[in-house]
Amino acid sequence: MPGSVKLHLQSLVKAPVHIAPLAVLRIAFGSIMLVSTIRFILKGWIYAFYIKPQFHFTFYGFDWVKPSAGAGMYLLFALLVVAAVMVTIGLFYRAAIITFFLCFTYVELLDKTTYLNHYYFISVMAFLMIWVPAHRYFSVDVRLKPKIAVTRIPAWAINIFKLQLVLVYFFAGISKLNYDWLIAAMPLKIWLPANSQLPVIGGLLAQTWVAYTFSWFGAIFDLFIGFLLLDSRYRKWAYVLVIIFHLATGLFFKIGMFPYIMIFVTIIFFSEKTHIRIINFLKHFLPKNKQYTSNKDYYLPAFKTQFIYGILALHFIVQFIMPFRFALYQGKLYWTEEGYRFSWRVMLMDKVGAIFFYVKDPETGRRSEIVNSQYLTTFQESQMATQPDMILQFAHFLANQYQKKGFKNPVITADSYVTLNGSGSRLYIDSTVNLAKEQETLLGHKKWILPFNTKSQ
Amino acid sequence: MKKIIYLALTAASTFLLIQSCSKSSDGGSKNTNTGKSFDRKAMLVNMSSNIIIPAFTSYHDATVSLDAAVTTFNTTPTADNLTALQNSFIAAYKQWQSTSMYNFGPALDANLGVNTNTYPANVTQIAANIGSGTYNPLLLTNLAAKGLPALDYLLFGTGADNTAILAQFTTDSKAANRKTYLAALSAELKTNATTVLTAWNGAYKTTFLNATGIDGSSSTSQLVNQLIYDYETIKNYEIGIPAGTQSMGTTFPAKVQAYYSKISLQLTLLHLKAIQNLYTGGSGSGLDDYLASTNAKNSSNIVINDAIQAQFTTTITKLQTLTDPLSANIISNPTAVTACYNELYKLTTMLKTDMTQALGIAISFGDNDGD
Repeated sequence: MPGSVKLHLQSLVKAPVHIAPLAVLRIAFGSIMLVSTIRFILKGWIYAFYIKPQFHFTFYGFDWVKPSAGAGMYLLFALLVVAAVMVTIGLFYRAAIITFFLCFTYVELLDKTTYLNHYYFISVMAFLMIWVPAHRYFSVDVRLKPKIAVTRIPAWAINIFKLQLVLVYFFAGISKLNYDWLIAAMPLKIWLPANSQLPVIGGLLAQTWVAYTFSWFGAIFDLFIGFLLLDSRYRKWAYVLVIIFHLATGLFFKIGMFPYIMIFVTIIFFSEKTHIRIINFLKHFLPKNKQYTSNKDYYLPAFKTQFIYGILALHFIVQFIMPFRFALYQGKLYWTEEGYRFSWRVMLMDKVGAIFFYVKDPETGRRSEIVNSQYLTTFQESQMATQPDMILQFAHFLANQYQKKGFKNPVITADSYVTLNGSGSRLYIDSTVNLAKEQETLLGHKKWILPFNTKSQ
Repeated sequence: MKKIIYLALTAASTFLLIQSCSKSSDGGSKNTNTGKSFDRKAMLVNMSSNIIIPAFTSYHDATVSLDAAVTTFNTTPTADNLTALQNSFIAAYKQWQSTSMYNFGPALDANLGVNTNTYPANVTQIAANIGSGTYNPLLLTNLAAKGLPALDYLLFGTGADNTAILAQFTTDSKAANRKTYLAALSAELKTNATTVLTAWNGAYKTTFLNATGIDGSSSTSQLVNQLIYDYETIKNYEIGIPAGTQSMGTTFPAKVQAYYSKISLQLTLLHLKAIQNLYTGGSGSGLDDYLASTNAKNSSNIVINDAIQAQFTTTITKLQTLTDPLSANIISNPTAVTACYNELYKLTTMLKTDMTQALGIAISFGDNDGD
């Protein structure tokens, strides 16, 4: 038995497979990133998210990441556009995908206000694409340098993307297996009726049973879709489900490009025959030229292969562990959000808060209430109000501001009220704690977050 | 395939067990949806036809009267005409309290809010404009030297009594410049009010009625956001800042709205009642009906709509214990002012959290995608 498992694993990693799926993925990912980046620019978000705010909520350990001044952010997005085009057509591919990964990740690290699972997903995909020879087939690079063309690559170069996608869906599925989602049909019970203006189905959306159906279907879809896509017998129907599911969520919720990204990248699951057909189809749109057909295998020196194996092994170990780190903390996960990000917890809760900060001068005992909008955009304020690590960051920023104004040890406290999935708003953090004295830690629990269920404590 | 599914199920149930340990059973139990879908379009029809457009119409009419009173006064600056002008001004300021919360669409395009009511008035800037005889309405520095607060100062604050104020427009060396300035300010108010009203009577009403969704650009979302924003100006600017909540307890009585005409509290009460009226939709469909249709309850298990209605009443009653001039009350009766502030604060929380979530517009807050 162990022998056959080992053989199976070996074929998943080393078996020579056709490169076409990788070339299609490159084109799909590059082009959807191009659309996505241009959309971001046209929406005016560069200014709204990265230039207008005077304060940014950085990630733990990444305080040194600051937006570039002046036209810098616009240049960076211009670079992203160029990189996306180059990835799509496969021109100077490695340089392009590395540039794309670095620029995109840099932008995401600037401010956690804009954190979205699908931005994280894009960073992850771009990172994986750095290590594969996606430009060695049907690309400008091959036209410029025909001898780099290959037809067969080791299977790992395609399977890592399938594995990543299975993980994303599966973790998204198991994160839905909880009381709120399955038994209370929350937050869909709030979100769906809000779409009652939609024609035909609008009236149905207010029905409780519809919220339950969507919740359960969503959970089952996420849990199994990755595995169904892996199996050639169910693949076609699974992909139809992928399209229906993502388009439906795109219709009901304001989730931007995410549905289209998923519809595009899941094409990778199809067989090499399908991908060759896709490429032949794409060739119709290109000027006719003599077809260069190589019959070479992709060759990588052993030490490079070992190096890439190491990187990928590390990557997937992290991917497996990250969604479980919430178990290190006490308290209700949705309430504390400790260990919440980077875990494929998608659309799981509706959380709204209001927060009032106070600065007290310990010498005189007098205090001021802060008008948050003096320092934060509406978007930053609404995100901060429900996320303790952001509350702490802003408190430290305020302490700093008042120290500059000449107050020696300003005491920062906050009255904060949060409602989670229709629970009704309640006190969120201990309003007596001096937040200026509290520190952020890597995996430490924030004791000043009040328990969600005060009665049971 | 079967093996994979079994494996997935096992993994999923393990995960479920882990998650259950840290999970409370409270989440979501409060919202017992009635299953009826709320007709947002009907609410928007009621609000636009019976509340918003009438408010802009009355405000427009008030600015027309005000501008006419300025013309009369400037031609014949008598004590009687000054009193008549002051009354016109008070009528316009009162009507503004029922108009300020619609600062979206055409009003936002015209920057109606900041152009009309940025206070406290910048007396130095006003004096400089009169002294030089020039006034550029487009300059940001003139935001606090225009609109209702500047008129408040010119018509009530330039002298100890009406005799002294009249002298500023008759015998004073800058009287002519002052009259010109007065005319420019009232004309600007009229022009802005006309622009916005015309837009609402024209194409914008259709735009407003058709944006029936809940996304950031939908009418419901804009109404609710502006209602909350405008409500917070009562808490922060009409009461909070003058009472010293943002200045380590040092009070700034002169920063109240309508400091010189001494009608601050009257205005605040009108403002709060106008917001309450928008919330209830007057006698028609409003946010109260919308909330009632969700039957959402707060953490004390009280229907959110009931809690908000009650808090409106409590806050208004509390404010009625104060008297005008509010600036004097802030100094003589700080305890009562603080008590009002606390009630205003409670209502802020209800509107910002419970109401927003129950209406289902929370997800569209901010101008970004969700996930």
